[in-house]
Amino acid sequence: MRQLRLREVKALSRSHAASWPLGRNSNPRRSDSPRKSRILTASLRAAVPLQAPRGLHCSAAAHNSDSWLVPPWPEPRKGPTKALTLHEELFQQTLEGARDKANFVRAVQNFGQHNVHKRGHVDFIYLALRKMREYGVERDLAVYNLLLDIFPKEVFRPRSIFQSMFIHYPRQQECGIAVLEQMESHGVMPNKETEFLLIQIFGRKSYPMLKYVRMKLWFSRFKNINPFPVPRDLPQDPVDLAKLGLRHMEPNLSATVTIYQMPSSRDSTGTADPTEPHIVGIQTPDQQAALAHHNPARPIFVEGPFSLWLRDKCVYYHILRADLLPPEEREVEEIPEEWNLHYPMQLDLEYGRSGWDDYEFDIHKVEEGPVFAICMAGAHDQATLAKWIQGLQETNPALAQIPVVFRLAGSTGELLASSSGLEEPPPPEGQEEEEDSQQRQQQGQS
Amino acid sequence: MALVHRFLNGAYIFRHCPKPSASCPFLGTRFADYCSSSLQKPVAAPGKTSSQRNSEGDLQGHHQREVALDITSPEEKPEVSFDKAIKDEIKDHFRRLKDDLVNHWIGPEGRPLHEVLLEQAKVVWQFRGKEDLDKWIVTSDKTIGGRSEVFLKMGKNNQSALLYGTLSSEAPKDGESGRSGYCAMVARSPRGPFERKRAYDWSQFNTLYLRVRGDGRPWMVNIREDTDIIQRKNQMYSYFMFTRGGPYWQEVKIPFSKFFFSNQGRIRDAQYQLLLDKISSIGFTLADKVDGPFFLEIDFIGVFTDPAHTEEFAYENSPELNPRLFK
Repeated sequence: MRQLRLREVKALSRSHAASWPLGRNSNPRRSDSPRKSRILTASLRAAVPLQAPRGLHCSAAAHNSDSWLVPPWPEPRKGPTKALTLHEELFQQTLEGARDKANFVRAVQNFGQHNVHKRGHVDFIYLALRKMREYGVERDLAVYNLLLDIFPKEVFRPRSIFQSMFIHYPRQQECGIAVLEQMESHGVMPNKETEFLLIQIFGRKSYPMLKYVRMKLWFSRFKNINPFPVPRDLPQDPVDLAKLGLRHMEPNLSATVTIYQMPSSRDSTGTADPTEPHIVGIQTPDQQAALAHHNPARPIFVEGPFSLWLRDKCVYYHILRADLLPPEEREVEEIPEEWNLHYPMQLDLEYGRSGWDDYEFDIHKVEEGPVFAICMAGAHDQATLAKWIQGLQETNPALAQIPVVFRLAGSTGELLASSSGLEEPPPPEGQEEEEDSQQRQQQGQS
Repeated sequence: MALVHRFLNGAYIFRHCPKPSASCPFLGTRFADYCSSSLQKPVAAPGKTSSQRNSEGDLQGHHQREVALDITSPEEKPEVSFDKAIKDEIKDHFRRLKDDLVNHWIGPEGRPLHEVLLEQAKVVWQFRGKEDLDKWIVTSDKTIGGRSEVFLKMGKNNQSALLYGTLSSEAPKDGESGRSGYCAMVARSPRGPFERKRAYDWSQFNTLYLRVRGDGRPWMVNIREDTDIIQRKNQMYSYFMFTRGGPYWQEVKIPFSKFFFSNQGRIRDAQYQLLLDKISSIGFTLADKVDGPFFLEIDFIGVFTDPAHTEEFAYENSPELNPRLFK
């Protein structure tokens, strides 16, 4: 905790005494309390003119304060020039402790303890909203309810029809809306306690209450519209994250996820060793069969890295794919009719009743070569991916005969060309590609 | 295209979308908190010329050179002849007028009536060449002072369009914006001869179909109606498009009954369904508050009739929010 210099305390108490005649001082207890912080917070109420120029320089939140009613005192400020906002000392006390929920709650409660009339609560709430992210409590509903609890109850409710026609206590209503808005942007659904608090503080016809009703309505409507939901708490372990990402990308549920290499030295330093990153791959049985049938005369390519976003984390993956076969080489597998005598394996019925039953689009869809496997690795260089290919060879013995070309480009996320080669150099063997691909990776993955 | 360019720039309304700030908190839930509704300075209009220039460049040089500035490289100065451009333009417009009159005799938009009536699936925008990219405008919050960048170019083999860039949610320091960070790609409204406004008529379809390949980020699809009423110029219908990510193409089908109504970027209390007979444009927006690079590859956009979809409108009005509707 910052120890106050003596001259600072003197300056504060001087201004404190000077503002006596204004009648704004409501805190009679001053230097009796042993804790310096209490002096500071108590005298800050009256020392607003001292704080005002500081507030202008450092934060924009001081504009909306209702303590501007005190005319600024033209006293030169002495003491260390630390740009702190009003009430920020409350959050500074917990610097020696960890920035977690308990300390945040304690700081918030400290505001109310020595300040019965809760002066400057609007500023304090704005400040607390800004500090929530540092303390990691921005998705905690109880903390938001605690912040709403700071408002004095029953004071801001309109009592006559004229008060309800005009926006009663507009700054406080704006502040209430700001709390709800931060809740909305973090996806926190308010509960009954929030509703009760809002009714107690602002009344039923107020704008915060209206916003609460809208939040309840639209949140519940849009809660489950994501067809590919990603859990809110992503796993911290990179291997688990890779498994989640691979399962997210692969729609086929019969795919198998294989871990080819675990990151070493997990227990010693806690971070993955750069020489042994994790390699996790996924492959479906259809892809295995397709790879087994692949013509060994045609090369297959390892392309990547491409980005995948899971909520707010970006992971990179590589794919193993082949080029599209030209139409003359494509063979359609024909199942002979005697294969199954109970029912036909292939039916070519015309289901359309007439011209209006055609639901196909009149466009040639983009076709790309088949993908044989996807993997996520800790490093994006050829050595790691070569290990992946070796691991794949165990389940796909045909891979040993097929030449593999590594096409590792910068991480812009575009899937590379199969045959046009306008922006790609002609695919050489893996060795020559490695040097400029690594250079490009270093440039691209900055 | 000098005449068209001048006309278009004069005809677009540069409307400054009011920011959702403390000055107007009472206009409702700040649900869609970005300015995608206003068609501000088209960032990638010169981008099409730069993309033609750089198609032979290397992969890295692309992303630095395709900045939306109107700089022409010295070795590739196109032939600028104002009179010739104007003459070409006038000829083009008269040709379109003639086509329009002739097509009126054949059927709606030049196709025979039975074909139009029986059609169940229609491709509206496809990306098979550079001229298809000209039909889209790409914007980002650079227009309000933010730091996001977005570019549009043809994808691989000229078979798809790639919208890529970086999103940055750093708020611009203009004293009134609290949040920022959006990128949008909007289609230009269809125009007839002499740049007369036309609209799409999708009244016999009920679902929007998109074949895209994304990177897992959630996008928002906005549809604007064609209207002359000024108050309705900033109103649009939106819905979310969740991309899966991965190397496989994804088919997104959004029924038109799911689109909710919003005004100037904020969702409205009174909801009513999207009427499909005068659609002006469609747009994609990314504003998911996550900083970082993104990409979206689009194959084509179409509309079709889903016979299994019978819902008319997905959102009912609530008496709490709209007591006047329930009197």
